[in-house]
Amino acid sequence: MTGDRSREEPLFRPLTAWRPKLILGSLFTGAVAALLFYSWGYQIRNDIGVAGINRPVFWGFYITNFVFWIGISHAGTLISAILRVTSAEWRRPVTRCAEAITVFALLVGGLFPLIHLGRPWLFWFMIPLPNHRGLWPNFRSPLVWDITAIGTYLIGSILYLLLPLLPDLAILRDRHTADNPDSARARIYRFIALGWRGTAQQWHSLESGIRALAVIIIPVAVSVHTIVSWDFSMTLQPMWHSTIFGPYFVVGAIYSGIAVLMVAMYLLRRGMGLESYLNDKVFNNLGLLFLAFTLIWGYFTFAEHLTVWYGNEPSEMAVFTERISGKYARIFWAMVLLNVAVPVLVLSFPRGRKPWLTAIVGVGVLIGMWIERFIIVVGTLSLPRLDFTVGSYQPTWVELGILVGSFGCFALLYLVFVQIAPIVSIWEVREGDHHLNQVHSATEHPVLETT
Amino acid sequence: MSRNASAWLHAVFDSPSDARDALEELAQEGLTFRDIEVRSSIPLEGVHPPDLQLHSRVPLMAVLGGIVGGICAFMLTSLTSQAYPMETGGMPIVPLPTTGVITFEGIAIGAILTTVATVLYECGLPRFRTKSGPLDHYLSTGQIVVAACIGDGESPEWVSKAIATERQDADQEDRTSSS
Repeated sequence: MTGDRSREEPLFRPLTAWRPKLILGSLFTGAVAALLFYSWGYQIRNDIGVAGINRPVFWGFYITNFVFWIGISHAGTLISAILRVTSAEWRRPVTRCAEAITVFALLVGGLFPLIHLGRPWLFWFMIPLPNHRGLWPNFRSPLVWDITAIGTYLIGSILYLLLPLLPDLAILRDRHTADNPDSARARIYRFIALGWRGTAQQWHSLESGIRALAVIIIPVAVSVHTIVSWDFSMTLQPMWHSTIFGPYFVVGAIYSGIAVLMVAMYLLRRGMGLESYLNDKVFNNLGLLFLAFTLIWGYFTFAEHLTVWYGNEPSEMAVFTERISGKYARIFWAMVLLNVAVPVLVLSFPRGRKPWLTAIVGVGVLIGMWIERFIIVVGTLSLPRLDFTVGSYQPTWVELGILVGSFGCFALLYLVFVQIAPIVSIWEVREGDHHLNQVHSATEHPVLETT
Repeated sequence: MSRNASAWLHAVFDSPSDARDALEELAQEGLTFRDIEVRSSIPLEGVHPPDLQLHSRVPLMAVLGGIVGGICAFMLTSLTSQAYPMETGGMPIVPLPTTGVITFEGIAIGAILTTVATVLYECGLPRFRTKSGPLDHYLSTGQIVVAACIGDGESPEWVSKAIATERQDADQEDRTSSS
């Protein structure tokens, strides 16, 4: 059961010494991330008026980005938990990459309500502190539900990432301690491994804990995006007040989550030489899941629009027409192309599920899903039920800077994580290999019985 | 067998079956699970001292944590509403169904936190002062370390023999520790 050293080497490489490629990548993404903080700082200094949001479009890029990033966060914990609960063996190299995406996407997504507030230092007004300051937290508001659900999901996702990480941190601790017990890395890993020893009892408890967390986190993840959708559907705005918005948003979230996972896995595979872990089989299996969600999302989108069209309610039709053949038609049809037509045409064939193709499709789906959020948020707000409040929205450089910077921020966090912890779960992969060896040895030495 | 834990003999094994056989040998020599420690970089089914009963209260604690979390969240929403000094003629400010979302999240966060706390408690973590064993680096390469406690002043030969039976060319080291 000895770990395959040559196979594991690419995993340890960024954890044992500074890698110029990763440092350069971190610097570049750091520079892009700085754009977010510069733009945000500019907005804080000059007030929220520097953003393009105005009556009646009070929710613009910021809430679009918020919904987009919270959707991305469904990549990890939910997908990883589902694969764990169903004991899918091919999940082993994927889970950690996915769980890390969740945590960092949530951190980035969580910034947007603060940015949108305009006065971020008052964010704690959103936290339901009972009767403090003489204010009454409105527990009927989906915005209060939001902060509760996202808070729960963030805490759960961080713990769900860290708990299975302990044995790998212990492996790194032992490795660094054997090389040089006084090195900074050895000391850091000794601290963050929390003294994990890998005894039978520890493994037993850890596995019970991971199983329990996987079961708990699935409904939490579903609740998070359902509640995000309720921010919209609990109002009476045209094309928001829909009963299927909850599941529609959850499906969209998982869909965009798989897309970002595909892109991240491809970049990790190419950049870190992880071909033996993130192999063609993994991409093929995830590609099939991707295809399934393409069809489900396409079906939901079709059902949502067909119902509105059939109902022919004037305010809803105004928004609908703007989408199909009006101001938003170009981006709407681009969304349909990127989110349905291209994925179906590419992913339906085994050749289309090659790593580089799935990554390209993933980029397209990410763009398409961002457009979907934009159309939902801005499309409806610019055409509310009352005609005299009709308006339009034009983002400013501040909002664009924050959008671009958010991608930099996410990539930077991910790159830093890659340099601290193995991006593929070493112990889970070793365990998978061990199971495989057991099956092989059982096949080589069949038990024969005579009666 | 009661022994003062003052010295441990460590051995490294490549395969779980070798480690399992050594553990059985040690058990036959009278060592209990208190005198033996098996460590590995992956969970191994059945590779532990024969008399050690593995147990975990994680599922039970998760349920209890969920119940406590749910009650706390429900009280937060319902009692806050009642405590607010507004005359409503006995009607709640927050209608009961809308407390459901916060209560659900309370159940989840309660279950999550107790699950993690229980795992840490059962694993005895954090334990920052634990010193590395002499063969710990073998764990990082996927091997199994079996450590057996030998009594104070007792000859380690019999334990050594038990372990070496299963691993002729074992990479063994004696370590006298003050554990």
